Amino acid sequence: MKASVKFLSVLLPVAVVTHLGTVFAAPYVLMDAAMDRISRHGKIVNQWSHPGRTSEKSRNVVRPSPDLAYSACVYDLKDGPVHVTVAAWDDYMSVSMFQHNSDNFFVINDRQAPEGVDLMLIERGAAHPAGARLVVESPSRRGIILQRRVAPTQERFDLAAAARQGDVCTTTSSKQLQ
Amino acid sequence: MKSVALYLTAIVLGVVLGFGSAWMVLSNGKLLGQFEHDHWFGNEDAGSTAADPYTRGIIAKIGLLALNRSETIYFHRYVDDHDEPLREQCVYELSGVALPTRWWSITVYAGDDYLPVNGDAAFSVDASQIQTQADGQWSTRVAADRAGAANWISTRNAGEFNLALRMYNPDERAREDASSIPYPKIRRVSCSEAVS
Repeated sequence: MKASVKFLSVLLPVAVVTHLGTVFAAPYVLMDAAMDRISRHGKIVNQWSHPGRTSEKSRNVVRPSPDLAYSACVYDLKDGPVHVTVAAWDDYMSVSMFQHNSDNFFVINDRQAPEGVDLMLIERGAAHPAGARLVVESPSRRGIILQRRVAPTQERFDLAAAARQGDVCTTTSSKQLQ
Repeated sequence: MKSVALYLTAIVLGVVLGFGSAWMVLSNGKLLGQFEHDHWFGNEDAGSTAADPYTRGIIAKIGLLALNRSETIYFHRYVDDHDEPLREQCVYELSGVALPTRWWSITVYAGDDYLPVNGDAAFSVDASQIQTQADGQWSTRVAADRAGAANWISTRNAGEFNLALRMYNPDERAREDASSIPYPKIRRVSCSEAVS
């Protein structure tokens, strides 16, 4: 066999496998990186983090909207369900959930929850907690919960920041449902 | 010994080629163009659990945490009305009418997919703040300087940039038929140097 044929017979399969492996792995790697940044290297898990108004310094996640007030909670269901509450908002507001592969597997907005959101997040297949108004099953153990509130001005952002102060994202292993 | 060196070189080159080609694909938002209207393009599967691996990978790279189509439709635009890349050296007029959705915004992003670093705090226009004419039409100056415009998106330090149109809670018709949306127009007004 010619050296060039031997060379290509190794190079091409390796290139194809690496290409496909990178495409498949990228969402997991990028989600891991985002979860690491949002959770401050794992220190803030199962807890809302409320960043300031989106600006040119906002670099946790690509393509942030400067017209939205974001809050994020990196969840980990290893210790059981996570209780999530989000206060009502008088404009567009949504709570969305992203599994480890970055898919948006759940979203609820203010029209569907005009009095705010109150739900339990569990791992798919786990027992549903008694007394929960809404139960959402996550396809993965870890992921990101994101809330968006339309707040295009500093005044509206300040109101959003005040509204979200009492929001909850916490494991229920040491806390019973109210 | 010679064969071992040959195979090792092939493996290393294969990894570099495979990784490099994948990263180039994932970084190219234009490849998301499942549908395109008036140079605005989008993908129905963005954020969806039904996305194919390439769509999922590109969204994760350039639009992580995007909502699925039931909630929001995203469109991206990289070129002007002459099909030339959008550049900070040029002045553009972005114009349109009311869009069939509960709330919309148009935001500028630099080549790195973050907001341009320029201190102008003029990254976007949105349905609630944009100043419109009596007939509902609106126009926005997209340029490095405001020059007295009522509506302005600053492209200073944005280099070769792109625009993202977000439509939250779009009307049913817009959701089902993206060609029915009256997309904003982008007209190139002038450039400070010749466009090649």
